[in-house]
This record gives sequence, C-alpha cells and structure tokens, in this order.
Amino acid sequence: MAMTQLKADVTGSVWKIVTSAGQALQPGDTVMILESMKMEIPVIAEDGGTLVELHVAEGQAVSEGQVLAVVRE
Amino acid sequence: MTPGDMAERPAAAAPADAPWQGELDELAQRRAHARALGGAAAVDKHHQQGRLTIRERIDGVVDAGSFREVGQLTGAGKYDARGRLAGVTPAPYVMGLAKIDGRPVAIGGEDFTVRGGTSWSGDRKKGGQGGFVEDLAHQYRIPLVNLIDGAGGSVTSITRRGHAVFPGVHGFERSVQLMSEVPVVCAVLGTAAGGPAGRAILSHWSVMVRDTSHVFAAGPPVVERSLGQKVSKEELGGPDIAVAQAGTIDNVAASEAECFELIHRYLSYMPANVWQLPPRGATSDRVDRCEELLRTVVPENRRRPYDMRKVIRAVADHDSLFEIQPGFGKAVITCLARMNGYVVGFIANNPMVNGGAMDVKAARKQTHFIELCDCFHIPLVFLVDVPGFMVGKDAEAAATLREGMRSVYVGLQATVPIYTVVVRKCYGMAGMGTTDKNGLDFKIAWPSAEWGSLPIEGGVAAAFRREIEAAADPKAREAEIEAELRAVASPFRTAEAFGVEEIIDPRETRPVLCSFIEAAQGRLATSVGPKPKYGVRP
Repeated sequence: MAMTQLKADVTGSVWKIVTSAGQALQPGDTVMILESMKMEIPVIAEDGGTLVELHVAEGQAVSEGQVLAVVRE
Repeated sequence: MTPGDMAERPAAAAPADAPWQGELDELAQRRAHARALGGAAAVDKHHQQGRLTIRERIDGVVDAGSFREVGQLTGAGKYDARGRLAGVTPAPYVMGLAKIDGRPVAIGGEDFTVRGGTSWSGDRKKGGQGGFVEDLAHQYRIPLVNLIDGAGGSVTSITRRGHAVFPGVHGFERSVQLMSEVPVVCAVLGTAAGGPAGRAILSHWSVMVRDTSHVFAAGPPVVERSLGQKVSKEELGGPDIAVAQAGTIDNVAASEAECFELIHRYLSYMPANVWQLPPRGATSDRVDRCEELLRTVVPENRRRPYDMRKVIRAVADHDSLFEIQPGFGKAVITCLARMNGYVVGFIANNPMVNGGAMDVKAARKQTHFIELCDCFHIPLVFLVDVPGFMVGKDAEAAATLREGMRSVYVGLQATVPIYTVVVRKCYGMAGMGTTDKNGLDFKIAWPSAEWGSLPIEGGVAAAFRREIEAAADPKAREAEIEAELRAVASPFRTAEAFGVEEIIDPRETRPVLCSFIEAAQGRLATSVGPKPKYGVRP
C-alpha cells in the first residue's frame, strides 16, 4: 500500500480543510484549499485513497514543498 | 623499422584476381574492433546497469540504416613484433551523419565502455566539446544531437601528458557558436560531471533519464572532500534536483527509449538551422474548431483557479503539444505546439501555482523559452493570467524582480510575432512582458479579462490610505472604493478606447489566432537568419 505525501505547490496559508483523517477519497477529490496570492488553490488527491494524516490546520502558513497530508492508496 | 621490413607488407600479398584483398580484410577487421566497443565484458557491465551502448543509442535515435559513421577507425592500435595488427581499442567517442525523420543531423556520444568515456587525444577531436561532430553541424547547418555519457576530465591526464591542461582548450567556442545557428539537443545518459555536464547545458533543449542519469558540476567524492557533505549521486544530480528543482536539465524520460522518442519529437518542431523556418506539419484539425470548454473554463469567482493546460489543448492542433520544462517553474507553462500545422510556442500562466504570479523559476523558464522561439522563428502565443511578479520576502530574496525584468527585457528584444490572449488577469510588469511592443502589439482579450498596474484589491489600501483611515467605518469605505473602481475596470471600456485591440468570445480563440499566424508566415520567411543580441541583459 503506497503512501503518498501531498505537498504544497505554493507558499501561502491553509484557507479551508474540507476532509478529515480516515476519510475515503475518490481520485481528484479536494483535500484542502490553500490561499496564495488571493487565490484559492485546491490540494488534490490525484489517485484517491484514504486520508491517513493531516499535518496542518486552518489558518496555518505553509511554504512550497511542505507536506500537508498523507494519503494511503 | 628497416626498409627491408617495409618491403614485406603486414597484409599478405593479394592473389592476382583479388587486388587489395588483404587491405579490405584489414579494414573489415578494424571495423569489427570498432563495433566491439570496449569489449564484451565492459558492454555486459554497461547493460547490467540498465544502460545502452553508444552504438545502440545512435541506432535508437536515427532513421534505420541512415548512420554514416565518421572516424570509425580512430583508436589505439596494438601490433605484433612483425607490425601486424593485433587489436584496436576504439576512441571513446562514436559520431557521424544520420537522419531523423528524413532530415540530416550530426550525432555523437561518448562510449562509456572505453575508459568511462573520458577524453582521448588523437590528431583531431571527434566530439564531446567541439570536435568534428560539432564542426559538421556548423558547416552543414544541421542539428546536433549529443548523447552524453562521460565523467569529464581526470587528474591522471597530468601523468599521461606530462603537463596540466589549461581548462577549456579547443571546443567550447564551437559549442557556443552553434547556439545561434542550429538546434542543439543534449541527452544526459549516464553520470555527467565537469565538461560533459557543462556541455549538456549548452543546448537549446536537454533531457535526462530517470534512475540511470545524473548531472552535476562535481560528484559525491569531490563534494565530500570539499564540504564534508555525504550525498548520493541521486540526491546530488538526479532528476528531482536537476530537472524539478534546478531546471538545469529541461525534461526527464522514464527510459532511454522514451528519451529517444522525445528527441524525435523535439526536433520535429525545429528548422534545420536559423536560416530556415520550422517545418509545417500536417493536421486534420479544423481551423474553425470552437471548443465549448473555453466559454466555461474560467470561473466567475475570481479567487478560483482553473486548468490552463485545458485551454492550451483546446486552442492548439490536436496532439501537437510538447511541453518544455513541465516540472520546473510551474507558475508558467511553456509548450511547443502547432496551429493549423505551423509551429508556435505557447507561454501560459498557471493560476494553480502562485495564482499565476511570476516567481524566479517561472521567469527563468519564460526567458529561455522566448529566446528559443525567437532564435528559430517560432511565433509566440501568450495565454495571460498573471497578477504580477511574486511578492514576499522569499520572492525578493530570490531576485524575482531581476529575473522577472530579465524576462521582460528578452520579450521586448524578440522579433518574432507575439500574440497576447488575455484570459483573466494581466497586471504590472509581468503583464507588460506578455505583449509585443516591437511588432503589431496585438492584444486579444476574453470578456473575463482584467488589467491594470496592479490588481484593485491590492492597490486600494495603499492608494486611498488617508481616506480609508479617516472614514467612520474604514473596512466598509475600502470595500466601497473597490466596488467603484471595479465598475470602471470592465475590459469593454478599454476596448472603447482601443486600448485593447479586440475582445472575442473565448471559443473564437483558435480561428482568430490561426488567421494571424498564417498571415505572419511571409514576414517570418523574409526575416530568417541568426539574431545577434546586443546590449546587457539586466
């Protein structure tokens, strides 16, 4: 079972977390939404799976490359 | 050797009915030695590492049967006591003339199975940095394909030569010259350090293979000695660093076979040299294809991003996209493509990364792509959704402003036609850098477009600070001013003033662009040749 780290593509902050740990994800589901440059940037689980860990909280500042969540495929 | 020995030629005297048979046999023997490369054991070892030999690589890239090798007999011969040939260790470089998709190219690469592909000193250099293969590309004005698999210089050359070699003697000047004359493709197919790594960078497009290729100025032993850092080859110069993080190499392939396919594909967009136009490809895609997707792709909520690659795919000829540096500087997307068969370059901001703001990596990527297209007479299409340069402490420390202005500068120096399609935001200097101030300055906008010196929401607080602070409810006053300004920011008002040349239904993007790109062909055909650039890049 492959674990996939979802990383921030952008520097910004966590605007909204729309999932919770343990939740099943379909391919393409949005896990959370970052805010960067006044834009809402969705963080997507490309292959779906189960959300096993959330590493950030709403409002938290994140930098490019930071691990936001872990998904088990 | 005494004159008596001379009389007895090493090759046996030929029978009268087969003149020169001995010499032809020797030629066959020498060719067999060349084909054997560094010997069966060395070739096996190379294969076990998941790598092809240089001869297999050349066969894998070029049209079947088209390779005309040059310098096949070069090497170090071994002779017996009577002066007869006992064997030849081939020079560790194989090269010649070949065809790719029916078009001539100069192609060569190091033979890793002979001394790890290190340099070899004959009367004339075969290739690597400069050498015959690069002279061939220069004199015949044909593309150069470098298949790099060499680790560069070795300190052992001091004892072999009896003196230390001055760096960069003979070669790199030709490599530099080629950059303004013919397409240069470099594939890193092993561990490239030093000279070969530098050679890979002196190219219009470079590619490496995941797991078997690495590229760095110096490898792990030198790094450990110099800095005390213990790093693996993969950590130091694998594609995660060299392609995704550094953009040192443009693209990555999953295998050597895929790498050869990418080389084909890249060259299909290129003219043979800068004195020609890129070849027009066949397409069955209709010029008047108007995709419904384009009407709905941009969300009405300005805070929502969208998939810009879908826009490019809907506009360009079907299956004609070749993305350059897809993993680097992701705030901008750079693609070679075709429009009604004509080669074009797309530069599109990516709202999914930084909201499309130009950061230092995106700026570098855009600068390189503009120069590439300008050099080979490829018109540019900008799909614009850029709120400006990236802001913040990290962005300033990374020199976003300087790299961003460098990109603007190069855009203003370019002389190929540039078409600007404003999809959504076009702000500030990064926005200015998407337009063609030297040509027609033709800006086409979608109704979703907005522009200005800076986005309204960012500028209100600064420009109306006193007024906002003096208000009874500052927050409400700020929102009010924003709404007032937004009311006059409609792109239609700019169109009334002819400040933007046309506003179109997004679905019309392809037919409109195709008409102008076709009309530009005459100008392109009459302005071919090298493009010297004067001045100093900021």
